[in-house]
Amino acid sequence: MTSVAARPAQKSRRWRHAEILFWLLALASPGALAGCPAGTDDGILIRQGELTLAWRPLLAADRPAPSNRIPMAKHFVLDVQLCDKDGISAAQLIKADASMPAHRHGMNYKPVIKPQGNARFRVEGMMFHMAGQWRLAFEVQSGKETLRLNHDVQAD
Amino acid sequence: MTSRRTKGLRRRAGLALALLAVLASAGADVGIELSAEELDRIASHGPWPLPWSADPGNRVSGNAAAIFLGHGLFFDEALSANGKVACATCHNPARGFQDSRNVAKGLAPGTRNTPGLFNVRHQRWFGWDGAHDNLWSSSLRPILDPGEMGGSAARSARRLKASPALHCHYRAAFGKPAMADDPELLVNLAKGIAAWQETLVSPPAPFDRFRDALARKDASTAAEYPPAARRGLRLFLGRGQCATCHAGPMFSNGEFGDIGIPFFVKPGGVDPGRQGGIKRVQSNPYNLLGAFNDDVTRENATGTRHLRPEHRNFGEFKVPSLRNLRLTAPYMHNGSIASLHDVVRHYSELNEDRLHSDGERILKPLGLTAAESKDLVAFLESLSPTEPISVAVKPMPIRDCLPATRNSRIPAAGR
Ligand code: HEC
Ligand code: HEC
Repeated sequence: MTSVAARPAQKSRRWRHAEILFWLLALASPGALAGCPAGTDDGILIRQGELTLAWRPLLAADRPAPSNRIPMAKHFVLDVQLCDKDGISAAQLIKADASMPAHRHGMNYKPVIKPQGNARFRVEGMMFHMAGQWRLAFEVQSGKETLRLNHDVQAD
Repeated sequence: MTSRRTKGLRRRAGLALALLAVLASAGADVGIELSAEELDRIASHGPWPLPWSADPGNRVSGNAAAIFLGHGLFFDEALSANGKVACATCHNPARGFQDSRNVAKGLAPGTRNTPGLFNVRHQRWFGWDGAHDNLWSSSLRPILDPGEMGGSAARSARRLKASPALHCHYRAAFGKPAMADDPELLVNLAKGIAAWQETLVSPPAPFDRFRDALARKDASTAAEYPPAARRGLRLFLGRGQCATCHAGPMFSNGEFGDIGIPFFVKPGGVDPGRQGGIKRVQSNPYNLLGAFNDDVTRENATGTRHLRPEHRNFGEFKVPSLRNLRLTAPYMHNGSIASLHDVVRHYSELNEDRLHSDGERILKPLGLTAAESKDLVAFLESLSPTEPISVAVKPMPIRDCLPATRNSRIPAAGR
């Protein structure tokens, strides 16, 4: 924004503000992901190497739903947090999608990833239009590496 | 925080278990061996009717003046080019708002079967190809369609002005008179017709009474549900896998599928189904992404915003609701199947070659016996109410538009 030298300091101050806000939000709404390190309260955790991806579904009006039971044929949002051993990860969520392996088809809707800062992402436009087993597929860009993480969930 | 949440979860799990136990024992009391899982799945098809909520995209949803206006317009042949076609010509109230033809016929013969309109408020997509993402744009299309009503804004404005009652309700609902050059005129009329259609709700059917009886462990009421329908229900949920698509209280997931109904249209054409529907909804100025959506948050446009065209959409059609089918024969997007027996035979003898190679992997020829087919039909019939549904009830005019009130306001010099 201003000079290159000023940036790191500004960034960390901004980060701290963001962090305070983040914790306030996290404490205020019990459904929100609680940042890093992610614990089992933060929805479902998927680990690969040093990366932990925590996700939980949010229904209409951002109401959290149990991660292991996603209501069928309703739009929902995926709330995703990326963490590594140092805390908030520098990696980026670059792809999120889902398919039904048993039926060999995907979703009828194309999700869009909206970065929220601090390695937190909103994946909007999800819908599991049939009851049964769905496979969530995430792609995370971490430096030069692309990590693929999957997780099976039940829609009903 | 952790322990509170765990406790909450545990309490909820406990409740669910208790409910299952109640349902399971209700099943046992009734003398049918329904597994806990079956009871759970039966419960997911209700309760009925669904709670009504206003359509956020239609600012006159639930508005009494708009409902009166909409009712009047729905039955009004004067909106059509030849003065002979109303919405009700094809959507006949006595037949679940269907016309009993294979394909509709307005000013010209069409290519698709007329869908019934009960419970239309709960649809996500409208038309067999889902070419509309809201009820009012789906109600505007036939007014202008040269093959259906062939109307226009000018004709509609003339019609409204010729009817003091309709025009009064239009003004009350929209706060301005009907003007042919108002770009909102047709949308407003369609929103009025939509407001009326939203009131069309079918009453509970025998299946609903059975489902509710199981839920409250009422063995004697549950026992009234015919054994054939019970066996059919099990086929529907189990081997038939019907509920994969025909899910929830509407018996539809609101999405699209291919069950091998031919998509050829005479002469020599094809009906591309959902593939064309996605293109049409995206290019429609009256879609939920457009200026006429009254939901400023555009939250109701999520589906339209995230549409994802796929090859497999070619030849996919909307999964229809299975309620009120006794009223709405013939069946399928082209009306090609005459009876529920024939529908069941279609699924029983399914020709897999007709399904798309990249299509669903759910459907297999079921090879039902004659007795099983009868059971499945008995179940499908139990999704229609047994008593005739009274829908001809005309909505009440609003007080400001009552003829007496209006006359008393007119100065003595008036007629
Ligand atoms: C000529 C017969 C005909 C007339 C007249 C007609 N419709 Fe329809 N209607 C149909 C057909 C056929 C479809 C299915 C269209 C499609 O799949 O593209 C349909 C679909 C609909 C749907 C979507 C229902 C659903 O479940 O998907 C609604 C709502 C509707 N019509 C309302 C109306 C209204 C309101 C009018 C009067 C303004 C009207 N129709 C006039 C034949 C007709
Ligand atoms: C893969 C999803 C899917 C499955 C599974 C499925 N259906 Fe359907 N069903 C559809 C679709 C899509 C249509 C409309 C097809 C068309 O018009 O081309 C339909 C149409 C129907 C209709 C006609 C309704 C009307 O108003 O025209 C009936 C009845 C029906 N299905 C019953 C069943 C039964 C019984 C089963 C189980 C044996 C079943 N369906 C399984 C998707 C499915």
